Amino acid sequence: MGKELTIWLLILAVGALTYTARLSFIALFARREMPPLLARALKHVPVAMVTAIVVPAVVFATPGELRLDPGNAKLIAALVAGAVAWWRQSAVLTIAIGMAVLWSLRYVVG
Amino acid sequence: MRTHFSRPAFFEGARDVAPMLIGIVPFGIVCGIGAITAGASPIAALAMSMIMFSGAAQIIAVQLLAAGAPFAVILLSCLVVSLRLVMYSAAMAPYLRPLDHRWRALLSFVLTDQAFAGTLQRFQRSDDLRANASYFLGSGALLWVIWQLATIAGILAGQVIPASWQLEFVVPLCFIAVLVPLLRDRVSILVFTVAAIAVIALDAMPLRLSMVCGGLLGIAAGILGDKMAGKRG
Repeated sequence: MGKELTIWLLILAVGALTYTARLSFIALFARREMPPLLARALKHVPVAMVTAIVVPAVVFATPGELRLDPGNAKLIAALVAGAVAWWRQSAVLTIAIGMAVLWSLRYVVG
Repeated sequence: MRTHFSRPAFFEGARDVAPMLIGIVPFGIVCGIGAITAGASPIAALAMSMIMFSGAAQIIAVQLLAAGAPFAVILLSCLVVSLRLVMYSAAMAPYLRPLDHRWRALLSFVLTDQAFAGTLQRFQRSDDLRANASYFLGSGALLWVIWQLATIAGILAGQVIPASWQLEFVVPLCFIAVLVPLLRDRVSILVFTVAAIAVIALDAMPLRLSMVCGGLLGIAAGILGDKMAGKRG
């Protein structure tokens, strides 16, 4: 399967998924209550899923090569960006400073 | 359909959601950049925003595409992050129940974090269903349009800026901007720690399943953590 075709199928499949999620209680099972375990699990979805997706993008230099040392520019940029996000809750500032650190380490420092 | 439409309420909804637009624009731009750097064509990148219309699902889809995850794994991850929309759907359902199915179908499409946050209070306050539905539609419509414009800006940036700039790194940085402010209590820090260790430890799993499994283990840790915190308190 070509990459472009895969992406289009993904758009349609995830589109159907997000729409079904939105429609769920409004139209599909309008008379039911949400299961309590689902409600308890939902609270933790953002932290858990975002962590599971962002950590590999930062700690692996190449697939399978774990780099938890200061030589990993992406790790340092991510830590600085994390500090910015902690003190100043601004997405724009976090992204801008993170990219600035990545570029400085790659091109200025070496 | 027309019987429920109130033009003043529609524009009132659009006006009231305007302050939230500043917050969604950077994420729309990141979605556009992410889709292009993950290998999507400009048309596909825009279709992604028009059809999925969910920053969380889109950013996760493009990050996993870039990481080489297979179709089913991307779908499963998007399912997990879209469960939040189920919660919004459940919260809005009692108010929307008297509307006909076309209105419910339309309003469901524009149900997002921002439209939910901006509209729920009005539904709780006022019984004027006609005005409320139009207000919701006005908020949702403006959010949708701005989301597309922000995506187009990102698509253009993704095409113009050379690959050596590693612009794809804006996607993880965007996740960090969302994640870090959530780590304000002990259970959230536990969820973060478990998910982070699990996703690294399980990296050898095939099909990039480590990400889904790491996320699910984090959620399980959170449910257990809540239980223990409840017993102590």
